[in-house]
Amino acid sequence: MIEPLKILIIEDEALLAMELESLVEEAGHSVVGWATSSSEAKSMVGSTDADIAFVDIHLTDGPTGVEVAEYIGQKKSSVVVFMTANPKRIPDHFAGAVGVIAKPYTMNGLTSALRYLQEGVRRPPPVSTRPAGFTLSPAFEAVWAPPVA
Amino acid sequence: MDWKRTRESADAWHMTDDLHAEHGKGDPFAAAIRATRMSMIITDPRRPDNPIVFANDAFLRLSGYGRGEVIGKNCRFLQGPKTDKAAIAAIRAAIADKTDLAVDILNYRKDGSTFWNALYLSPVSNDKGELQFFFASQLDVSDRKRSEHRITADKDRFEKAVKERTAELEAALEAQTTLLHEVDHRVKNNLQMISSLIIMQSRSIKDEATKRSLKTMLERIEALSTVHRRLYQSKDVSRFDVSDFAKDLVTDLLTASGRSGIKSKLDLEPIVISAEKATPVALMVNELVTNALKHAFKEGPDGTTAGRIGIKMSQPDGHFNIEVSDDGVGMTDASGDASFGMRLIKSLARQLRANIEWHDAGPGTKVVISMPNEPQQKGNVS
Repeated sequence: MIEPLKILIIEDEALLAMELESLVEEAGHSVVGWATSSSEAKSMVGSTDADIAFVDIHLTDGPTGVEVAEYIGQKKSSVVVFMTANPKRIPDHFAGAVGVIAKPYTMNGLTSALRYLQEGVRRPPPVSTRPAGFTLSPAFEAVWAPPVA
Repeated sequence: MDWKRTRESADAWHMTDDLHAEHGKGDPFAAAIRATRMSMIITDPRRPDNPIVFANDAFLRLSGYGRGEVIGKNCRFLQGPKTDKAAIAAIRAAIADKTDLAVDILNYRKDGSTFWNALYLSPVSNDKGELQFFFASQLDVSDRKRSEHRITADKDRFEKAVKERTAELEAALEAQTTLLHEVDHRVKNNLQMISSLIIMQSRSIKDEATKRSLKTMLERIEALSTVHRRLYQSKDVSRFDVSDFAKDLVTDLLTASGRSGIKSKLDLEPIVISAEKATPVALMVNELVTNALKHAFKEGPDGTTAGRIGIKMSQPDGHFNIEVSDDGVGMTDASGDASFGMRLIKSLARQLRANIEWHDAGPGTKVVISMPNEPQQKGNVS
């Protein structure tokens, strides 16, 4: 049994954050915080000890998700996974993030992504198949990519 | 020919004396040069500063000077402040090198007005090859120069107009692309919210049948979500790669079922269909695969289920074929005609002008869908 993950949700849509929280908890992990804006997210990064931050690109104060990802990257407090319906807004270098879960994700797609990320964070590299709708950043592709296609 | 007037000019006589040319006075060639409408002069490079020794009437008319004012002078009095320095240098070089020259040069009349002079200059040598004179003709080409300038100005204006219009169109395209991304973003977010609402609702429901209904509904909406996620990944939003979609869908449905004993066998040609067919095709494939997962396989005595679901996609000439097969219990309880799922499949088939057949595959069932698929050419969005 791998140790469960502590997750920070940075998402401006309450409904999506709520449902994401339920799915995360059903999968045996815990949610340590929910932020809706970049400022709230930055202050929460200091006060929580998340393993993974799920970051939406679009927050209540605009398309500030990339900036939040860079901030988390500097603090080295947790790894970042983008969760967005607008993956084209993610810069080529992914702002240091592991990858992106493209919205709309399926319930199973998210559960599979959680399993994959749990393996990646706790016992890298992950052994599960990379789920549909999950894209690894080029930097993590080099480290986590499965040995056989 | 204006013999008389030329004869009457004292300077002209002086001129012909000065020429010492083999063509004497009374020579019809000399007379012709004097009288022609083409402005002509002759200079003597053997004298200091290469002065004009002959100028015909046409030259005097063109330049506005009297004969007395030009004979004995170097031609540079025709130049002025706006005369191109390069043209002057070209004339100097031609004289120094004793070569021919044709050049357009801006010259000044006596009254200060300007004209464009298509100057032709050529050296004249005697039999021994010694340089005797320079012969020069002047043609007023101001009109041609004006139209050249106008054409250049028009060209510049058109180029500027085209540049501006291109910039406008690029800006409009940029705005449209931004709008498309915004709408795409909203559609995806809304699909995510619909899924979330169904999941949340179903958590609070105790009744198993209702829970199952909601799950089926969620699967259909998730199939649409997968279409939308895939639709805008490509650069061309009017095209949809149905084989990539099928791979995502089957992987997702199989892992979601949690029955690791059921394997998939995918035989997918890369097939592109128009975006408007994406949704009905996706819903149909979703129904067939979920149906097979629900009804085709029986639990073994050890509580696990084993089996295989196959999807094959191919495109023989002008057609697009989908085969969904399983090696389960067969058709008996799989094709309840009255079920909503079955009605959905049949309606979608009608919409796609698809032919759909159920075959007993012994073991299992094979569903074959065949529909026309126009060759995917650029710009054909049918």
